[in-house]
This record gives sequence, structure tokens and C-alpha cells, in this order.
Amino acid sequence: MSHSIEMPALSAGMEQGTIARWLKAVGDTIAVGEVIAEIETDKATMELEAEQAGTIGRILAGDGATVAVGAPIVLLLGDGEQAADLGDDAAAETRQASVAAAQPTPVAAERAALAAEPAAEVAAESAGAGASHRRTPSSPLARRLAREQGLEIDGLNGSGPRGRVVRIDIEAAAAVQPASSAAPAVVKPAPVRPVNQPFVEIPLTTMRKVIARRLAESKATVPHFYLEVDCEIDALLDLRERLNAEGEGQYRLSVNDFVIKAAALALRQVPDANSAWAEDAILQFEDVDISVAVATDGGLLTPIVRQADTAALSGISARVKTMAERARAGQLQPAEYQGGSFTISNLGMFGVRAFAAIINPPQSCILAVGAAESRPVVKGGACVPATVMSCTLSVDHRAVDGAVGARFLSAFKALIEQPLRVLL
Amino acid sequence: MKATIIEPLKPLAPWVSLATDPAAWAAADPATLDTMLTSMVLIRAFEEKVLELAGQGLVHGPAHSAVGQEGGAVGSVLAMRGSDQINGSHRAHHQFLAKALHYVAPDGLKSSAPFGDDVRTIADLTMSEILGLARGYCKGRGGSMHLRWAESGNLGTNAIVGGGVPGAAGAAWAHKRAGTGDVAFTYFGDGAVNIGSVLETMNLAAAWKLPLCFFIENNRYAVSTTVEEATAEPRLSSRGLAFGIPSWKVDGMDPLAVYLAAQEAVKLMRAGEGPTIIEADVYRYFHQNGPMPGSAFGYRSKDEEKAWRARDPIDRVAAEMAARQLIGEDQVASLRARAVALMNEIAGELIEEHEGKRRIVPSLWPSPDFRDFGVRGDLSEFQGARFVEQEEFTGEIEEKRFVDVVADVMDRRMQEDQGVVVMGEDVHRLRGGTNGATRGLSDKYPDRVLGTPIAENAFVGLAGGIAMDGRNTPVVEFMYPDFMWVAADQVFNQIGKARHMFGGDGEVPLVLRTKVAMGTGYGSQHSMDPAGIYATAPGWRIVAASTPYDYVGLMNSALKCKDPVLVLEHVDLYNSKGPAPVGDLDYFIPLGKAKRLRTGQRLTVLTYLAMVRPVLEAVERLGVDADVIDLRSLDRAGIDWALIEESIDKTGNVLIVEQGSIGTSYGGWLAAEIQNRCFDMLDQPVQRVHGGEASPSISKVLETAACAGPGEIEAGLRLAMASQGRPLA
Repeated sequence: MSHSIEMPALSAGMEQGTIARWLKAVGDTIAVGEVIAEIETDKATMELEAEQAGTIGRILAGDGATVAVGAPIVLLLGDGEQAADLGDDAAAETRQASVAAAQPTPVAAERAALAAEPAAEVAAESAGAGASHRRTPSSPLARRLAREQGLEIDGLNGSGPRGRVVRIDIEAAAAVQPASSAAPAVVKPAPVRPVNQPFVEIPLTTMRKVIARRLAESKATVPHFYLEVDCEIDALLDLRERLNAEGEGQYRLSVNDFVIKAAALALRQVPDANSAWAEDAILQFEDVDISVAVATDGGLLTPIVRQADTAALSGISARVKTMAERARAGQLQPAEYQGGSFTISNLGMFGVRAFAAIINPPQSCILAVGAAESRPVVKGGACVPATVMSCTLSVDHRAVDGAVGARFLSAFKALIEQPLRVLL
Repeated sequence: MKATIIEPLKPLAPWVSLATDPAAWAAADPATLDTMLTSMVLIRAFEEKVLELAGQGLVHGPAHSAVGQEGGAVGSVLAMRGSDQINGSHRAHHQFLAKALHYVAPDGLKSSAPFGDDVRTIADLTMSEILGLARGYCKGRGGSMHLRWAESGNLGTNAIVGGGVPGAAGAAWAHKRAGTGDVAFTYFGDGAVNIGSVLETMNLAAAWKLPLCFFIENNRYAVSTTVEEATAEPRLSSRGLAFGIPSWKVDGMDPLAVYLAAQEAVKLMRAGEGPTIIEADVYRYFHQNGPMPGSAFGYRSKDEEKAWRARDPIDRVAAEMAARQLIGEDQVASLRARAVALMNEIAGELIEEHEGKRRIVPSLWPSPDFRDFGVRGDLSEFQGARFVEQEEFTGEIEEKRFVDVVADVMDRRMQEDQGVVVMGEDVHRLRGGTNGATRGLSDKYPDRVLGTPIAENAFVGLAGGIAMDGRNTPVVEFMYPDFMWVAADQVFNQIGKARHMFGGDGEVPLVLRTKVAMGTGYGSQHSMDPAGIYATAPGWRIVAASTPYDYVGLMNSALKCKDPVLVLEHVDLYNSKGPAPVGDLDYFIPLGKAKRLRTGQRLTVLTYLAMVRPVLEAVERLGVDADVIDLRSLDRAGIDWALIEESIDKTGNVLIVEQGSIGTSYGGWLAAEIQNRCFDMLDQPVQRVHGGEASPSISKVLETAACAGPGEIEAGLRLAMASQGRPLA
């Protein structure tokens, strides 16, 4: 009897995956642990390792196919079986699953909208079954916790056997998406198409959808306020130049590396800003883990520099560099971009003078860094030139008050303007 | 060629037939004959009423009548005194009533006198019981086949053929030990004489010289199978020859002959001569069950029935009395009519007309919520008991060998309580049985440490009888747990069910010790963990200590408890050392209280007995963030749900660890119960560690593979952690 390998859930929130390419073909023998395919998820391209050995009898989802998590993607031959022995049933089943996942039906969309109301949910559940909706297996405890926190189980990545959603997954989802009693009731807007306007329709990648959903949620539900500060960075630029010269090519520090380090040290001084809103509590993080926004072709990613307050500048620099490369190559592992306690987004390289960023929930603050530019400043009654960098802190007012945000910015500015302290 | 010399061997005990002649009848005490007649007429009228009600569909379940057999029961009972005791089988209305009547009228009944209130009450409560009504002797639980009225010496009748016989031996043992001279009669039929319970008990009672009369009512048919078909020696009293038991064969249709034989038997037994056998040839006029004659079912002829009816015991006594001018025909007719009227009157109070049909008066039924009352006691015997956990123990604790503490605490209890009696195979020899668990006891208490024949069914049943008697507390040892199957009827049908079946109030303070022996190479028939079987059988409590300290407290509680308690031990623990109290062997550990040995957040591990230590070791070695709970009490009533639910609510994950094979395993029912009670707390199905399907083999390698050990425990822990998304490194 043949057995199948299913599309695994490779990261939290993953609902479906795209076969980037198969590394094995029909007839190939595979061993446990061998990489058999590359799977593209919302965030990255990941390697699929075989969990069982066997011979590939039939590939059910070819290169480029998008398949729901849990749907079979390849059949392995049983003892004495030939590839020709495998009937069409399995393939048909997968096609169906694949189609269902790639094109959410109106019923499924309705389900999401109705999820807030338990009775309606039950009715929709049975309606959904007819629309090939695959029920996400979940433990009773996970279902209870999800109910209590207003979270939807569907679409969560299950860490349990056969993708079962268990408590740890709910906890992870709750940390990512601050619970709100109103949250599940968000109604998705109907798709809009211009009438007399030629356009090219660009299908949404999973990543795009996640970005859209999370940022919309953040902007809609998190009460943002903004604090701005101008930092003079001539001393920083001097120091950077000296250090880079002494480094003899072993490292090349960027202004942003100093910004990361200074922000981390400032967070250590003002830990109230290094926090997250968790509905029933404010979580103050023990580590200062800085998420660094990186633009990629697919969208924004935020690889994390862990414990940036204790890391050396050169280390921060190297880490940002490799992670940015890996992010652009689609190779980041979920653990490398999930979590973080504070985000920095720097658009200075594009000449943006100043901007306000949207908070990356559940973090309380995000620092938007503008370009360093020469500006006239008044010193001792005289107007003198200085290199100035404008920074804007977006703050979640539920967790952090104005004074706290101001104290953080003041500490940050002091560090940036007296950069030797950053090296202490 | 050598000549063969043959000499006849003489049985140790006499085997005789006894019959009356006219002189015997002429010499019989008129008052005794009048009592005999009156009793038999009352019993006949009662039974005919029951058959009538059965014919109307008002008796739920069988109505096994003994109409025709009254001579055996009444003749023998009249040779007893009120403090003597009897039990019987599924066909026992006549014995029960005979004993009860004799108890309330020790000086006899008069055919000419009106029936007293006592007589009326006996008929009422017996009929109510047979109909399954709340006012019956056993509150409607027992019905026709489980009639018990302990005060009158009715120990309880039995629906398992031969099943009551070992228990009667227990009553006889208690009488012997008390030295009162009281005796016990156990009644059973020709069908029961070939079953192990009876033959094993004959042997045991003879070996121990117990004052027990095996009264065989040979009515010639086991349902429809004739006695000649069932045995090559249909003279059933011959069984006594094999065991050295004096035996009588009498005509049971002649109540005086039965009475005279019973008098001789009682005299021997009161004198300490040991057990007796009386075989009475009797005849039931009806089929096994219900109001039709046996001939209607084709296994016997109408002529045969007619011939036996011509020898009716009531007619016989009436005729013999008439011959001596002790009674006239009219008086007999009047007696019969009054007896029938009494039964009609009683039935009339229990039955009513409703919409043209007869039915039980609804208010007389037991309440459905009485269903489980008295499966076991309420533990009120523990009021004021000194419960001390090891952490609270103020005395000295030292490391001691487990098995030594097993013997020490029993020594202490036997010293304090003259009623504690230990029995089992070889418990009196080998310096404390096969493992030393009874070390030193037989030297100190030779009359209370009883080495038994290899007959588990008889000796555990006998212990059940001792327990129900109440004057002593038996501690039985099964050398290996698997032997419970040999004794299954006594362990589960009798001891486990007795309290509930007889109304819920009777006490059965019995302790059964046995050792789990997995790992000793004793193979398929000596290597089970019996906890799962006892846990699913009603009535039993189960304790399993993992340390000497807990053993002391749990054994003290087992001995104090008024229910049967299985005390599980383990050979792996016997020779291990653990914390034990110094000096104080008198504290208790509550039944129904588990113990958390380690605190964690992510997993609740439930285990017991010899698995406790390896589980703790594995949890520490692997760094599992787990609560480890030693269940200690394993029966349904003993599960510490407060602690377990608190733990599961916290961890969301459960692993049950046991050593034995899956089929008879303990964890199955517990997992089901947890899944029912804690479903919404669970983050994964209840996980389990247990042995394979087959019973462990003798080969060391196969035995190890069959039992759960450290490898299986580690795999179980890893699975339980991985399944919640927290795989262990």
C-alpha cells in the first residue's frame, strides 16, 4: 500500500505552500532526512525533508503548485508496488484540495466573517464541509483557549501530530495577534475592480496577504501616537569612519548598525518601551531583540538581532547583512523573523527625510529612521551646518505613555550624539 | 512371577445411610413433628404463591422453587440452634425460610396456633425481596437468589453453583476460632457437587477441622441433566470418603430421617470433629425455574413425578402424626388454608390492580438512585484515624528493605489485633513465605498464620466468609496475581459483590496481598499486573505503595477498611530499600489520596507501584517539565480526582505509565475516565506507556520486551512532549 507525504506547516500561520521545485523525481529512492523539495511559504523558501523512506511513485503537486497544508503532495510506493499501480483517485483528491486552497470559496470567506458568532460558526462549519474545507485538527484545550481568546484555529500551524493545533500554537498566535473581542468580526472588503481602467492583476502572494492583514489590523486596532526627534550625527559619522578604517575590511559599519545598537541600549535604560500589549497584561521583555525591517521583492521582512544591547557593533553589522541577504533569498527560518521586542525601519537610504511607521504587533514601539542630511542648526545663537537625522517613534498608547516614549527618544538621541557611549 | 498382594483400604471416615423405622417415628418428639409440619406447610404455601406471581409475570428474573424438597431443609434446620448459620444456592427459599422461622421460634411452631407477627414479617420481607422491593431483606437487590438475613443465621444465598460453599467454611472457621460450638450448614444440589469450589472446600474444611456440614440436596437434576449423566458415582455423599469427612445418606422425603442425621452431624461438629456431609435424596416437583413441571420439558416422565409426589414430605409428616393421633385431617387442612391465606394477604399488600392488570404497588420499588449505594463502604471507620504523610512524620525515617517492612507492619497489627489472621500458600514456612513477606509471623502467632492447600478459590472464599462474619480480619496472600483467575468466582462474584448484592450495609473487611512478579522470569502465567482487572470489578479497593513508608500507612488503612482491599506489592520493590518509619507502625495513609512527587508545568505523569521510581528517574534525566503523581489508590473510588484534575488543568497533557500488558492493563479505564472528565483540558489524547499484548514470556529477552521499562518510559515522555509541540532535545 502506498503512503503519502503531506504539505507540512512550516511556520506559524501557514495555510498553504507552493512547491518551488522538486529535487526528486518519480522512481527516485529517498531516505529519511533527505531534502526532496523546496517549499515556498509566505515568508521564505524552505527545504522539505522526507520523514519516511521510500520510492517516489507519483508527484501529486508539481513545481509551482500551491497546496493547502495537510494535502498530500507525493505518493511513496509500498512494498512491491510499481508507479503504474497507483490509481488516479489520490491525484484527483489532491487536485481538489489544491484548488480549494488556492481559491477560497465564498462559503469559506463567509465562515471567517461569521466566526464571531458561535452558533453561526457551527452552521457554517457544515456548509464549509461541502466546499471541501479541510478542518484543522486541534486539541480540546487549544479549542478552548482559542475560544477564550477570540482566535480562529483555522489557518494556524499545528505543532502536534499530523498538524494538530495544540496549546503552544494558540499561545504563539495570541502573542502575534493581540486578542480583541471584536477582532474576529472583521469583515473582509469585497474585491474591487476598476471598470474603465486597464490594469494588470498581480495575484497576491501569501506573504503579501499576511502583510496586508497584519498591518491593517495594527493600524485599525492599535492607538498609535508619534514622537519625533532630530539627531546630530557628525560625531557618529566621524567615529564610524575611524572604526571602518581600523577594521581593515573585516567589517563595514553602517549608520543603521549604530542606530540598532543605540536603540537597544536606550531600551535597556527605558525598559517600559521594550514591551508588548497582551490584553490582560503588558509584557515587558527581558531581552532586547531588535527586529530590523528589510525590503525584499516579495515584501517586508523583519529579521531579528537578538540581545542587541549586549552585541558588539561589528556583530550586529554582520548579522544584519547576512540576514538581509537570506531574507532576500527567501531562506529565513521562522525562528529568525518571529518574535522581537522592538522594530527599526530605516528609509534613509532612499532620501526620505522623516516618516511614521506602523507598529509591528504585539510590540509597543517602532522607530522610523530618516536620511542623514546637512541642515542648518542654531548653536550658541549662530546658525551652523550639521548632519541631522530625523527619527520618529510610533508608540502603542495602551502600553506606553508619552513620557515613557519621550524618555526613550531622549536616551536614544543622547547615545547617537555621543557615539563613544555606544561602544561602552 | 511375583504374586500381587491386594488388601482393602479403609476410608478414614464412616459413610453410612440412615433411615427411619416405625419406632423412630413413634419416638419422635410431638412438638418437633408439629414444628416440622407447620414450617413445611408455610414454606410450601409461600413458594406456591411465588410461582403464582411468577406465572403472572410479577417476578422479575427466575423463581427457582423447591416445592417438594422442604423435608431436607426443615429436617436439618430443626437440628440447629439460632446462632448456627446456613447458606444456600439459587434454590434456597425453603432453607432461608426454615432457618428464619426456627430463629424467631426456637421453641417451635404450633400447627394449631395463629401465625405470629414474626412469621408474617418473615414471609413479607422474603416475598418483597423476591419481587425486588425496597422493603425486602436486601432492599430488593438480591431477589430470589441472594437472600440474606444475617441475624437469623442466613449468611446469604448464591446464584453461582457451589459459589457459597467456601464462604460458609469461613463462617465455620470463625465459629471454631471463637470456640462457641456453633456450626454452619452449606446447602447445595447434585449439580454443584462436581464443581471445584465444593470439592476444594471439602478438602480445606476437613484439613482444618471446621464445623461445616455440606448438605447435598440431591434432587437428581441439574436443570435437565441427570445425576447419573454428571457423575459415575451418583451416591453423592461418597465424596466424603476422599476427604475423610463422615457422611450420611438419607431419604430427604423423610424429614425425620434428615433431622436425625443432622442431629448426629451437629453433635460431631460441636465436638470439634470437623466437617460432615449429609446427602438427602429429594425431588423438585417443578422445573428448574417457574411453575411448569419438569415433565413438560421432556427430560423426565409424569410417572416419575407422580411417584415422588406420592412420597411428599408434608403428607408424610401429617400421616405419621395422624397415626399417633397428634393431628387430625381437619387440622392439617386448616393449617394449609391459613398458610395460603397468609401468603395471599401478604401478596395483596404488594400487588395492586391497575387498569385491569396486576402490578407491583409502585411506591414499593427501590429508588433508582439506590443503584450504586453500598458498592463499597463510606470509610466512616476512619473517623479519628491518624493520617501522617512522610513529609509530616516527626519520628525518625531510615532506609529499610521494603519486604522487611511488609512483615514488620503485619507483625505489629497481629500483635495489636487478635482478629488479624494471615493465610496463603507457604506463608507459614520458608521464613516468611516465598519472599519473606510474612517473616517471623508463624513463630509468634502460630494459630493465625495459616498455610493453605493450593486451592485459591476455596481459601480466598473462606476468607471472604471470615470477613463477612466480622469477628476477624483475614489477610490472604496470592503467591502470584495470576492465580486470581483460579479464584475468580470468589474474588469477583462473591467477595467483590457481596456488600452491594446483599443490600449495601454488610461489611467485608478482607485484605488480599499479592506481588507483581514481572522481571522474575516466571513466564506467561505468573507475570500479570492485576490492577486493571480489580479496578474494573465492583467492590474492590486497591492500594499500591511505592515506598516502605507508604506501605505501612496503606496497609494499616487496608486493614482498618471495612471493604475488601487488594494490596499490590512488587518483587522489584521487595529487595529495594526506601524510606521507612522507625518505631511508629501505627499511622494511616488515606485511601483515595494520590501523592505528587514532583512538580512541573507541561505534563502530568500518572503511575504507581514499581514504575514510580523509573518514571522519576527518566523525567529528571530528560529534563521533562512534568508533574509526577504516584496514584497509590487505584480503584474507581480511590482516584484522587482533586489532585489529578488540578494537575491536568495546569499541564493539559497526561501520560499514564504502567508496566504490564495492554489487554488487562490498568490505564485503559483511567484514560477513558480522564478523557471524559478533562476533555477540554487536554492538549492531546491521554498518552500511555504499557507492555505488549502477550503475557511476558520466560525468556529474559522476551520478558523484557513484553514489559514496559525505562526505554518505553522515555519514548512515552518524548511522545507526550513532542505531541504538544515541545519536543525534548
